[in-house]
Amino acid sequence: MRKQESLTQYLDWPLFGALIIMLIMGLATVYSVAFNEDAPSIFNFSEKYGRQLFWILFSLFLGLLVFLIDSDIYRRFAIPIYLSTLFLLVVVLFMPAVHGAHAWIGIGSFGVQPAEFAKISTALLLAKYISGLTVKQQNTRTVLTASSILLIPMGLILLQPDAGTFVVFTSFLFVMYREGLTFDPILLNIVNSIPGVRYKETWVGSHFIPILFALLFLSVITLLLKSVSIDLAIFGTGITLNGFLLVFTGLISIYLISWLLLQRLTTRRDRSRMMVVLTLGLVLAGSLSLAVDKGFDMLRKHQKDRIELFLGLREDPNGDDYNRNRAMAAVGSGGFMGKGYGKASVSSVRSNHVPESETDFIFCPFAEEWGFVGVLVLFFLYFFMLFRIIVIAERQRAAFNRVYAYCVAMILFYHFAINIGMNIGFAPVIGIPLPFFSYGGSSMMSFSVMMFILLKLDAQRKDVLR
Amino acid sequence: MNLDARRNVILVFIFLMISIYLVKLFYMQVIDDTWTLRAQEIAEKRKVVFPPRGVIFDRNGKKIVTNQTYFNLMMVEDSIVDLDTAEFAQLIGWNVEQVRNRFKEIVDGEGTYYNKITKKRTPNYQKIRAYPFLKELTLEEMSKIAPHLTKFKGFHYEATSARNYPYKSAANILGYLSEVYREEIDADPFYKPGNNIGRAGIERFYEKELRGVKGIKYVVTSALNNAIESYANGKYDTVARQADPLLMGMDIELQTYGEKLMQNKKGCIVAIEPASGEILSMVSAPSYDPNLLVGRRNIGMNYPKLVKDPNLPLFPRPLQAEYPPGSIFKLVQSLIAMQEGVITANTGFPCDKDLVGCHNHPSARNIAEAIQYSCNPYYYMAVRRLIQQGVKRNTNADAEYGLQKWYKYIRSFGLGDVFDTDVSGQRPGLIPNPAFYDKWYGHHAWAFSTIRSISIGQGEVKLTPLQMANIVAIIANKGWYYTPHFVRSIGNNGSLKTFQKKHWTMINYKHFDPVIEGMRRVVNEPGGTGKMAQLSDVLVCGKTGTVQNPHGEDHSVFFAFAPMKNPKIAVAVFVENAGWGGTWAAPIASLIIEKYLKGKVSDLDKEKRILEAQIAYKKTN
Repeated sequence: MRKQESLTQYLDWPLFGALIIMLIMGLATVYSVAFNEDAPSIFNFSEKYGRQLFWILFSLFLGLLVFLIDSDIYRRFAIPIYLSTLFLLVVVLFMPAVHGAHAWIGIGSFGVQPAEFAKISTALLLAKYISGLTVKQQNTRTVLTASSILLIPMGLILLQPDAGTFVVFTSFLFVMYREGLTFDPILLNIVNSIPGVRYKETWVGSHFIPILFALLFLSVITLLLKSVSIDLAIFGTGITLNGFLLVFTGLISIYLISWLLLQRLTTRRDRSRMMVVLTLGLVLAGSLSLAVDKGFDMLRKHQKDRIELFLGLREDPNGDDYNRNRAMAAVGSGGFMGKGYGKASVSSVRSNHVPESETDFIFCPFAEEWGFVGVLVLFFLYFFMLFRIIVIAERQRAAFNRVYAYCVAMILFYHFAINIGMNIGFAPVIGIPLPFFSYGGSSMMSFSVMMFILLKLDAQRKDVLR
Repeated sequence: MNLDARRNVILVFIFLMISIYLVKLFYMQVIDDTWTLRAQEIAEKRKVVFPPRGVIFDRNGKKIVTNQTYFNLMMVEDSIVDLDTAEFAQLIGWNVEQVRNRFKEIVDGEGTYYNKITKKRTPNYQKIRAYPFLKELTLEEMSKIAPHLTKFKGFHYEATSARNYPYKSAANILGYLSEVYREEIDADPFYKPGNNIGRAGIERFYEKELRGVKGIKYVVTSALNNAIESYANGKYDTVARQADPLLMGMDIELQTYGEKLMQNKKGCIVAIEPASGEILSMVSAPSYDPNLLVGRRNIGMNYPKLVKDPNLPLFPRPLQAEYPPGSIFKLVQSLIAMQEGVITANTGFPCDKDLVGCHNHPSARNIAEAIQYSCNPYYYMAVRRLIQQGVKRNTNADAEYGLQKWYKYIRSFGLGDVFDTDVSGQRPGLIPNPAFYDKWYGHHAWAFSTIRSISIGQGEVKLTPLQMANIVAIIANKGWYYTPHFVRSIGNNGSLKTFQKKHWTMINYKHFDPVIEGMRRVVNEPGGTGKMAQLSDVLVCGKTGTVQNPHGEDHSVFFAFAPMKNPKIAVAVFVENAGWGGTWAAPIASLIIEKYLKGKVSDLDKEKRILEAQIAYKKTN
C-alpha cells in the first residue's frame, strides 16, 4: 500500500505542466474569441468562456478521480469498458441528428459525444491485446483481432457520420506499426497462392505505415494530374495523356531505370528477387492509380467538388471553400507578431467570418492574435508534449502502458495535424477539435481523462512487475 | 527485428510534419501578404462618409439652398424574424399587398448577373445586405415609425441629406440634383451608385465646388456586413469636409418678387448689377418650386408633369429664348453710328414713313429724340450710312465692308456668342455677318436694302434676354461690362478669374451720354414710350420694345437701368404675347427697380394690375 502523499510523488511534472499551460492558453483564446462586452466575467457561465472554465475545472476533477483509482483497473476492465462504449456508439445512432450527424447523447442541454470516449476505450483494449502478443506469435487470427478492435468502432462512427473521428482512429495504425504488428500473415496467404512463389515475409505487411503514405501520395498525384494533359504529338502519336496514364508512364519509366540499374549493380541471385518485387510494385501501384482515377470519375459531383477543393484544383472562396478560405485569411493576416490579444478582427465570434472559430477553428483566432511567434510557442508546446509522452512510453516496464502511451501520443498528434492542417490548407475540413484548446465539454473531458490515465499509469509504473 | 528504431521513425515523422507546417505558416503569415489582403477584403470595409453639400447664400447673406435630413427605412432580409406583414403595413400606412410588392420590387430592381461557375443568371440581390425599403422620409414621417421598429427585426433607419430650398424660387438658376449615371461613375471615382450629382444650373456648374471632400472610415465588419468597431481606433480615417458655401450675386427677395410679378404670364426678367456683372435676378416664367425636384421620389413624380406642362416651365427663357431685340437694338445702332462718325449726337432725320413704317411723332432732331420717339425711319437712314459708307464703288462690296465693321462693333458688346460664365444652357443668339448673308443670298448679291430690317432690331438679328440685359448694363457703365455671372464668391476665395476681367466695347464713353439722355426721356418726358416705368424719386432710364411675333400677339419688351447717375441695376423684361412694350414690360421693370433699390414698392395699384394680369398663359389644372 502506498501512502497518501505518493499521489503526486511520481507525477510527471513536465507533461503535467505543459498540459496546464495549454489549458490556460486555450481558455484565454476562447475568452478572447467569444468575448461579450455585456458579460465580461470569465465566471459567467452563460458565456462560452464561463462554460469552458467549468469544463476545465470539471476535467481536472475527473483527473483527480483517475489518480485516486488504482491504474490496474484499466488493463483488467479494458474489455467491459470497450464494450460499453460500443454500446453507446450504437445507442447514439438512434439519437436525433445535430447538424446532420447522430453524434450526441444528450440529457437536457448537457450532451456528450461517445465517439470522443471511444478513442480511450479502443486505446485501452488495443494496449491490452497487443501487450499480450509477441511478434513471433503473430498469425492471421491475431492480426484480424487487432484490426477488428479498430474497425468495429470505426464502422459505427462512420455511420453517424463523423469523418473526423473516423480518420483519427487510423492513428492506431502508427501504434501497431511501432509495436511491430504485421499484416504479413494475411498478405503471405495471398502472395504465396501465386504458383511458384514462396515468401517468408513481404516487407509490405510490416512496413505498412510508410507504404500507406506512399499510396496516399500516389493517389494525390494521380488526382492532381487529372487536370493536366500532355500531348504526345511531338512523338507523332497524337495521344494525350492525363491522370492515370501519365502516372503509369512515370511508373514505367522508373521501372525501366531501376531495371537498368539492377542489371549493373546487383548479383544475379538478388536480381531476380528484386525484379519480382519491382514488377509487383509496378502492378500494384499501377492498379491503385487506375482505381483512383476511375473511382474518382464514379464519385458524385459534390464529392468530386470536395476533393478538388482540397487539392486546390478549384476555387470557390464564397461557396464550398468558404470556411477554409476565411480561416486561412485569418491565420495569414496574423503576421509575425500578431494583431494582439483580443484583436482578432476576422475570426472573432462576433464578426463571424470564420464559422466555428471557438471550436474547430480555434487555431485561427490564436494565430491571428499572436502571429507567427505565438504559433511557434504553440508548436513547441505540442511537440514537447508529444516528445514527452513518447519518452514516458519508452520508460514503461509494462507493454500495456507503453502501447497506451503511444496511442495517446498518436491521437493527439492526429488531432493536432489535421486540425491545424485544416486552418492552413493542408487538410480537408473535417470537424475535429484542437486538443485542450477548442471549446467543448466532451473533447475537453475525453482528452483530459486520456491524459490523466497516462499520467496515472506512469506514476504507478514502478508497481508493475510485468 | 529492431522495433525500437521505429520510435525514431515516428519521432522523425512528427518532427517533419511540424517543420512543414511551420514553413507553410511562416510563408502565410510573414512572407506572403495574399492572406492579409484577403482578410482585409473580408473584415475591413472602407465606409465612405459623404459630407453634406455646400450651402448657397444670396447677396444679402440669406441662405437660399440648405440641406435637410431625410430618412431611409432600411431592411436586411436575413435579419427579419417572423415579420407580421399586416402590422408592419399598418405602421407605414400601406396595405399588405403593397408591402409584398415592395419586397419583390427591391429584389427585381437589383437586376441579375451571369454567374460563371454555376452558368446561371443570378440575382444581384443579397439577403445579408441592407436595402432601402422606404426612401426619403421626413423627420415627422420617420418619428412615427421609428419607435415601433424594435418590434420588426431586420428593419432600421438611416439618415441621408437632401437639398432644401426655403424660398421656393429660382429653380431655373439653382438647378437640381439627380442620381449619377453609369458613365459619370466611370468617369469620376468620386461617385458611387446612388449618389447625387448636380444636374442643372448652379448645382451642375459648381458641382466640384459644392460636393466637398469625402471622408473615409475604416471599420471592422462582421460576416453580415455590419460595422463592429472602427479600425485601429480611426487612425487611418479621414474626415468628411463640407464644401465652402457659394455666395451668389442674386438677391433672393428680388428673385422671388420677380417670379411673383410674372405669375400667370410667360416671359422673363433679367437684372444685372452693372458695376460687377452679377446677376441680381433671372426670372423665367412660368417657374416652379425647386423643392419639387428634390430626391428620386419627387423627381419621378414631378419631372414628367413639368415636361408636359404646355407653358414650358423647364424652358430657360432668359438663356434660350432667342428674340429679335426690336427697338431696343436702336440704342446699339446709335452708339455704333456715332463711333463710326456717320452721324453725330445732333444729327436729325425726318420721319419718312415711306422708308419704313412708324407711328406719329415729330421728326427726331437728334439721337436723344430718335430714341425718345423710337423713330424707325431715323434708324433706317442712320444704319444705311453705317452699312453703305461709300468706301467701295460696288454697292454690294460696300455693304460687305460696312457690315463687317458693324459686326466687329456688335461683337464687342458680347453679342453673337454665349458668355463664358457660370450660367449654363445659354444659346448664342444670332448676329449676321457678311459670310452669313453670302450663304443666304450669294456673294455680293446683297446690300443694305436687302438687310435693312436689322437696323431696327428685326430680321435676322436674334438675342437672348440675358444678352439684352447685358446691353443695358454696358450703357449704364458707358462702355464696358463684366461677364454676367451668378456666383460672386466661392467661400472666401472670390469669383472665378474670368468674371474679374473688364470687357471694353469699341465705343467711346462720350457717345453714351446722348443715348442715356434719350432713355431718360423715354421714361420721364411727355411723349416717351415708357412712361409707365416712371418712379417718383428715382430717375429711370429705359427703352421700350415690341418684338414682332409671327406666331401671334407681339412680345412686350422693356429694358432700363436706374438710377441715372451711378446706376445700381440694369434690367430687361420680356412678357410674351403682351403687345406693346410700354404697357406690361415697363411697369414690371419699374417695380423690380424700386423693389431692388428701396426694398419695397410704393405704387400698389401698379403692382396689383401686374399681379392680376393673365397673359397668354394656359391654365393647367
